[in-house]
Amino acid sequence: MFNIVAISLRAIFRDRVFHGILVVASVFLIIPSISSLSMRQVTELSITLSLSLLSFILLLLSISLGATTIWKDIERRYTYSVLSLPFERSTYIIGKFLAVALFLLLTTLVLGTVACLVVWLSSSIYPSERPIVWSNLVICIIFDALKYIILVSYAFLFSTVSTSFFLPIFGTISIYFAGNATQQVYDYINSPVSSSLPLFIKKGAVVLYYLLPNFSAFDLNINAIYGIALPVKAVVLPSAYFCIYTMLLMALATIVYCRREMK
Amino acid sequence: MMANKVVRTFYFAIPVLMVGYLLSVFALAGYMKSRPFVEKLGYIPTVNTMKVMAGDHKQFMGANLLLKVLFYYGGLAEKAENKLRIPADYPAMSRTMHAALKLDPYNMDGYYFAQAILTWDLGKAALANEFLEYGMKYRDWDWYLPFYAGFNYAYFLKDHDNAARHYRRAAELSGQALFMNLAGRYMRESGRTDMAIAYLDAMAKGARQESIRKVLNTRKAAFIEARKIELARDAYREKHGRLPGSVEDLLAGRYLKQAPQDPYGGRFYLAADGNVASTSGFSFAGAGK
Repeated sequence: MFNIVAISLRAIFRDRVFHGILVVASVFLIIPSISSLSMRQVTELSITLSLSLLSFILLLLSISLGATTIWKDIERRYTYSVLSLPFERSTYIIGKFLAVALFLLLTTLVLGTVACLVVWLSSSIYPSERPIVWSNLVICIIFDALKYIILVSYAFLFSTVSTSFFLPIFGTISIYFAGNATQQVYDYINSPVSSSLPLFIKKGAVVLYYLLPNFSAFDLNINAIYGIALPVKAVVLPSAYFCIYTMLLMALATIVYCRREMK
Repeated sequence: MMANKVVRTFYFAIPVLMVGYLLSVFALAGYMKSRPFVEKLGYIPTVNTMKVMAGDHKQFMGANLLLKVLFYYGGLAEKAENKLRIPADYPAMSRTMHAALKLDPYNMDGYYFAQAILTWDLGKAALANEFLEYGMKYRDWDWYLPFYAGFNYAYFLKDHDNAARHYRRAAELSGQALFMNLAGRYMRESGRTDMAIAYLDAMAKGARQESIRKVLNTRKAAFIEARKIELARDAYREKHGRLPGSVEDLLAGRYLKQAPQDPYGGRFYLAADGNVASTSGFSFAGAGK
């Protein structure tokens, strides 16, 4: 398992993915200048922009790495030679997943540090009226990474059932949008405004709400940007949800991959 | 041989294309600059659609919309200094700010800007207070919002009970007794101009954008001139036992040393009840009417 993780990580670095990230991450350098355009909340705007940029980079990575890793190995016929070695298919797919997840965490660590430096720089030039709650900012960044690891597990699940990269890529993008919308749809159908909706639509929406990932639970931007108190439940419950949901998806992905016929 | 000929053709074509590009890019930039605000802003989907599509970028989208409004208004404020007419699309600006604040109800830039333009420029103090009271539900630590709302209630809406209520809230949040005094002083009509000057001074000192600071300082300058006329009017009334007929009477009687200048390009006059007013309505938009 460790060998597969290490080899897959090396492959990601060899593909110069990190170089690409650094190019996009150079946008961090102009955030203090853009933030200075704000009338009353320079520091808050620098946090907003930093978190958005970090989230955007992680989204690109989770779609590109998550949706193509398995497909690329099959396409290049690496999978057949690797699977002839004495280890289980389950070890292979979980090792691949852990490599992508580790890479996302590593990227989050590097870019999160850069984001914190950018925020610190902006706040030292234009001190904020409201103090920055650094712990909220760090937890918010970590939760961003967790959210995208769930997305990667979906990409892996789609990769195990598909022979092309279309389903993994477009399926993952759809899950990203659906995951961001579930909470709002759920709130809507539970509000008096939705009383005219047919019952089967309401029931269907509730079923989807529980099945699809709830990315809103991982969105702690408001707490990080405006230093609003973060309840313990808002950290513990999504963390538990992340662990169980990811394991469930990867268990499903592993079962499908182990049963898949490789020609 | 054939390949060389093709390459040579491109050597000639590239300079021609470059000239064409330069001509078209400057023409395009000019067109883009002159487009109406609604077109510049583009189509704004409904707030609920944006909320669903934005995911965890809601605050970014809100800030982006507010920056668009700020750039637009900042550009107009710069032109106003050269006495150009301001074709400000206030309703579109108001709609955009509303969308931005729905996306991020914590964004202070939105409330500050709404307060700056909706009151004097658009004459919609009640709408500004709707924004501010919405913001108070979220920014429950911020004394600026009740401070602005208190001013609007007292100065524009003449609702002294609500003004006092908001000033009390501002005093509680800021720990400054000043707001309690303000609440009391707003009750008197004679104190309105002084208070407007103090309020605009506080707003201008807190403004980070040069264009916004200029707008606020221009308005403050207009009120300082109006205050001079008020003092002269009071001196006239004390001496003659009646109100002067016009600003010119005050100049003729040397109650005013020189003719007051309205920085908005309007003309000061005394209303029937003796209050000092200007044909500009204390805004460039008013001066253009």
